[in-house]
Amino acid sequence: MLNTPAWAPAAKGRAHGAAGFAILAVAALAFLTGCSGGTGQSVSTAVKDSSSAVATARIALRQDMEGKLTRAAASTTLDDELKEVHTSRSTVLKLSPASQEDRDLQKQALDVLDQCAAGFATARAALATSDGGSPSLSDGDKALAGAQDALKQLEGKVGDK
Amino acid sequence: MTSASAPLPKAPRAGGRILDAQLHLMDRQVLDHDGVPVTTVDDLEVSGPALDVNIEPGSPAPVLTALLTGSVLGTRIFGGRPPSSRLIRIPWKDVAEVGVVVKLGVKGEPLDASWVERWVRDKIIARIPGGRHDPR
Amino acid sequence: MKRLLGVALGILTAIGGFVDIGDLVTNAVVGSRFGLSLVWVVLVGVVGIILFANMSGRVAAVSGRATFEVIRERLGPRAGLANLAASFLINLMTVTAEIGGVALALQLASSVYYLLWIPVAAVAVWLVIWRVRFSIMENVTGLLGLTLVIFAVAVFLLKPDWGSLAGQVLAPSVPQQETAWSYSYYAIALFGAAMTPYEVFFFSSGAVEEKWGVKDLAQSRINVLVGFPLGGLLSISIAICAALVLLPAGISVTSLSQVILPVAEGAGKLGLAFVLVGIVAATFGAALETTLSSGYTLAQFFGWSWGKFRRPAEAARFHLSMIVCLLVGIAVLATGVDPVLVTEYSVVFSAIALPLTYLPILIVANDPQYMHEHVNGRVVNVLGMVYLVIILVASIAAIPLMIVTGAGS
Repeated sequence: MLNTPAWAPAAKGRAHGAAGFAILAVAALAFLTGCSGGTGQSVSTAVKDSSSAVATARIALRQDMEGKLTRAAASTTLDDELKEVHTSRSTVLKLSPASQEDRDLQKQALDVLDQCAAGFATARAALATSDGGSPSLSDGDKALAGAQDALKQLEGKVGDK
Repeated sequence: MTSASAPLPKAPRAGGRILDAQLHLMDRQVLDHDGVPVTTVDDLEVSGPALDVNIEPGSPAPVLTALLTGSVLGTRIFGGRPPSSRLIRIPWKDVAEVGVVVKLGVKGEPLDASWVERWVRDKIIARIPGGRHDPR
Repeated sequence: MKRLLGVALGILTAIGGFVDIGDLVTNAVVGSRFGLSLVWVVLVGVVGIILFANMSGRVAAVSGRATFEVIRERLGPRAGLANLAASFLINLMTVTAEIGGVALALQLASSVYYLLWIPVAAVAVWLVIWRVRFSIMENVTGLLGLTLVIFAVAVFLLKPDWGSLAGQVLAPSVPQQETAWSYSYYAIALFGAAMTPYEVFFFSSGAVEEKWGVKDLAQSRINVLVGFPLGGLLSISIAICAALVLLPAGISVTSLSQVILPVAEGAGKLGLAFVLVGIVAATFGAALETTLSSGYTLAQFFGWSWGKFRRPAEAARFHLSMIVCLLVGIAVLATGVDPVLVTEYSVVFSAIALPLTYLPILIVANDPQYMHEHVNGRVVNVLGMVYLVIILVASIAAIPLMIVTGAGS
């Protein structure tokens, strides 16, 4: 016996009206959620993302030195992670800190992120020059390691708050 | 359901199959004589008295005149009715068989209902190299 | 012998075609942030997709009709249109993500910027859809996608502590640096990545394309029952690789380059070559499938002539709609949006759309008018109802979790 369920279209129509509205609400609310959270929170997120980026870059450089990674893949990895650091930096830059403490934190974070970017510049230059040129791959790794330490210190400071 | 006080008169015997328009015809795929899809049945055109007109006793029963397709889908879902001259019809006399799909007895290509397909084919697809290439 | 080869080909193609950019990215993200504590979701997802792929293949083989044709007939035009709108939009998002994935993988191989690869990838997808026969297309991309088995090989080469791995899988817990909210959010994302909605449309339309009949049901059942679990194991090995190399370094995956680092770590440049070929093949194959699915859903709802077995001139609107989809995909990617971000959203929205795509299949697979004596058995129906509940829960929880976790950040 053929039986078209009569309730289905009406119910689905209503459900879809609601779903459409919900999806519009998501965009607004997710945006707001992303905006909220004070300076400390934003700096902490930026530090986490940049640490991840620097760690990735160090692994890529090490693998390139060990002959496990092609130049193309290593340089693409560095480009991707540098983009990540830039994004974090512009997020921190756009903060409007309320207190002097927050302003100091923002300045420190920007300094550390600049150090990261400089480390990346060294590493990318090292990848671009063929073997023997300067800077060498180990120079690049050292620069990134320094940036990683600075990030860890900043993380500790933000974590203490 | 109202309960009858007296038994209802028997329905007149009808020859052939009895179809439910909503269940068996609406939203069914229409295939042409060679099995090529033409369209889906978006609506039905039924002859007979117009709306808002009293039905005279003894007037003939409404007859299914055509399958409709095209913009009637939009008006069927959202309301309204396109003018009669804008309806894209597949005359009922072209229908050969009604089963899981509705099969026509004619080729689909020259039909009114295929005009969009013909247009897209001629203006776009046939112009791209390999458009008429048989993939098998 | 020929039959055996045919069976093997079917299984291998199913394995190689299982992974797409959604699986790659989501499994890597989950492995790098949650270790192996979400592997159970992949297993649940694999059982689910086996169940529904089987049903949709059976519907197509027995009734000769593909899914969306039947959705409109059974549920009416309003529900069908709502279903079409949602499925089509999410499909479009997935097409965009897949083409982005092809471009990113080609960038990793060549160092040429990915934006330059996007039109190349999209045109290549279109050319294959335009000219190449369905079975050849499926077999080639499926077999090449098998090179992704390098992820499993890399797991062994990385010499993990199997005991602790097993412990993480069997006794899942939320890691310290993550919250229960993000855990649940990524569980839903992983579920949506495993149970991709387009699979249903593609599988059933593919059955019609290849003119399956009742006698092909056994073959399809074997493909699905053997191929999909092995494909699921591939997905899990992507997560394990990320958990072994990226998690200890405190790296959370945000780009495709991070996904392949563990393979390079374990298997060197040779492994890298395999994984890049595999990613290009798998995402290219998935781009083909999702683009075709967009065409199938539109054509089947509106009753257009469709199918790769027809001349393009005989299925003009079908091909035109796919060209438009690819152009939209190129346009979206040309705005510079991160394809990995598009992927992460597409899997969550896929999870939200799952009830829409699976409920009609369940209804139709039980309809004796289409299925004759091949209607669902009792076991399949019970499993189907259980999964419907799981799917509904995931779908309803997805958006609130997205808000609470800020889309998983």
